[in-house]
Amino acid sequence: MLSTFQSPRSLSRLHLPLRPLKALSSSHRTAATTTTTSALIDQSPPPASSLSSQILSIRHSLLSRELTATQLAESCLSRLLLTEPHLNSFLHISDSVLREAQEIDDRLSRNEDVGPLAGVLVGVKDNICTADMPSTGGSRILESYRPPFDATAVKRVKELGGIVVGKTNLDEFGMGSTTEGSAYKVTSNPWDVSRVPGGSSGGSAAAVSARQCAVSLGSDTGGSVRQPASFCGVVGLKPTYGRVSRYGLMAYASSLDVIGCFGSSVADAGILLGAISGHDRLDATSSHRGVPDFSIHFTSADTFGAKPLEGLRVGLICETLDSGVDPGVTSAVHAAASHLEELGCVIKEVSLPSFSLGLPAYYILASSESSSNLSRYDGIRYGNQVAAEGLNSLYGNSRALGFGAEVKMRILMGTYALSAGYYDAYYKRAQQVRTVIRNSFKAALDENDILISPAAPSAAYRIGEKKNDPLAMYAGDIMTVNVNLAGLPALVLPCGFVEGGPTGLPVGLQMIGAAFDEEKLLKVGHIFEQTLQGPKFVPPLIASEVASS
Amino acid sequence: MGSKALVMTGGVISMTNHIFSFKNSFSRTIIIPKYRRVIRSCSTVSSGSSLLPPDVSRLAETARISLAPNEVIEFTPKIQQVIDWFGQLQDVELQSVEPALRADMEGDSLRADIPKTFENREAMISAIPSFEEPYIKVPKVLSKE
Repeated sequence: MLSTFQSPRSLSRLHLPLRPLKALSSSHRTAATTTTTSALIDQSPPPASSLSSQILSIRHSLLSRELTATQLAESCLSRLLLTEPHLNSFLHISDSVLREAQEIDDRLSRNEDVGPLAGVLVGVKDNICTADMPSTGGSRILESYRPPFDATAVKRVKELGGIVVGKTNLDEFGMGSTTEGSAYKVTSNPWDVSRVPGGSSGGSAAAVSARQCAVSLGSDTGGSVRQPASFCGVVGLKPTYGRVSRYGLMAYASSLDVIGCFGSSVADAGILLGAISGHDRLDATSSHRGVPDFSIHFTSADTFGAKPLEGLRVGLICETLDSGVDPGVTSAVHAAASHLEELGCVIKEVSLPSFSLGLPAYYILASSESSSNLSRYDGIRYGNQVAAEGLNSLYGNSRALGFGAEVKMRILMGTYALSAGYYDAYYKRAQQVRTVIRNSFKAALDENDILISPAAPSAAYRIGEKKNDPLAMYAGDIMTVNVNLAGLPALVLPCGFVEGGPTGLPVGLQMIGAAFDEEKLLKVGHIFEQTLQGPKFVPPLIASEVASS
Repeated sequence: MGSKALVMTGGVISMTNHIFSFKNSFSRTIIIPKYRRVIRSCSTVSSGSSLLPPDVSRLAETARISLAPNEVIEFTPKIQQVIDWFGQLQDVELQSVEPALRADMEGDSLRADIPKTFENREAMISAIPSFEEPYIKVPKVLSKE
């Protein structure tokens, strides 16, 4: 394995006060809060066990008038601010959270309808455009950029009453698997702050894991929602390509990018997906297919019956459980398969022989498409500009200063692969491999309802461990890229732990479905989650705050 | 901002510069492009086609990124390593396989070609670094020769 290039980050941060966060909050009171100490303590969200969904629980509290949106927002915001110095999940925090919460309370006091996401604090990955907040894509080239529009996904969240609490950290333009590629800061994993949260949506995953917000939006081009979900012990949902509009998502690889959802439960991720899905005239690749009401599947466990998944055919992808995978991960996934069997599933091993080709094919396609997509960052119409004598130098210098090393390398690799004479050898071949992979998944999903695999070959590794070895970092994407090539939906949910960190590191199970069959994934995932025995997936950083069952 | 394609000439002609042995064992002929600039080239004898290693400086020029010399030195082996790794696709049998543009199977849904004024032009204009109504200012387009 790789040697560590840097010494682990200062461990003084590891000695976090594990006193209840409620006690901390009373001693770190800021002038901004107006409620009393006792109100703040009482207002923390209900115990995780009582309702499977934070979104539903918030809605219940608001409609029953048990709590106000302001109280809920203050509680969440204070936890965010307390944990943020240890995590660095956010690049920007909204200054209008409490004002928006107050607007919801005003509507409620007039007995007006509020949307299904009213009062829900949502984190948004910083490569998704928000008009009233900076959107940097994790890059210096967009350091000062404020988009003139909201991404469609953001617009829909706001229309349904959601409050965007801030923009989360990411690998620059989505290129990376650790969030160390951000030009601004490195985000820590709430389970062990010396470790990466995964990437590229590391900030969004960490924020939900540490309950800094209820749910968050990320993007997934080669696993950037699913792998951080696995590393941070949260649910990550990648929809089918075309399910969610990409308008306002800064394009990395246009044929692979999707916007995805993070939640601390399958129900939360599913409700958020339902909110943002559907055709958008502003995205020519968005599907006209109707969006089912996913929420009907999030029933409570006592409605399940003895074998709620009776007859469900599950294919375990054998290429994902070979010697290259951490033994702790393999056993967690096998245990998850046994759990599915107990629920009535029929588990079979499935082979996808083209599996290993997906990784080089993905990187060829992604670097090629990104070299084209990132040519718009030329310092002319927006973003940072470096003055120069001539136009070419202006381009060259603005881009040289604005882009980080990984982005530059991928642009150069993509430029090479797309050069005349090389196109057939690389890009076209990768497109052909895409067809092969798509067909092999289709065949496997004809025989099986869902396929399962790990989401990553290991649990979270240390910050700095893979920084200087691109191929080693790319290798970690083997479990996820094929799903993007095939355009299929996938759900990652925590299924077990491996050793590491103060209390162990979470491992996620990936479930892959047929195109546009998010409904089946959510149904199966919800039942799996609600019947899983063992410790809850709450990181030690905030464990005392969230009561366990 | 277009990218210039590498200029190719048909057939092997003269090889400028020193020759070094290629790390990979592609047993195919090389189509040697003729560049104005100095590049490293390599030779093999047998049939087929082979691809020259990435010339990072040249690529950076094409991609309009002014790389510092130390960046060229640092990036070249890493890029080389990844491109070599890409090469494994050469060995796969893909004769009759259709290339897939993307996974989407629904076909394009294009909206009607009717212009619509964007509602927030002021914000777009205020984002421009160098603006002098109604022009976006750019420096001289110098000819490169």
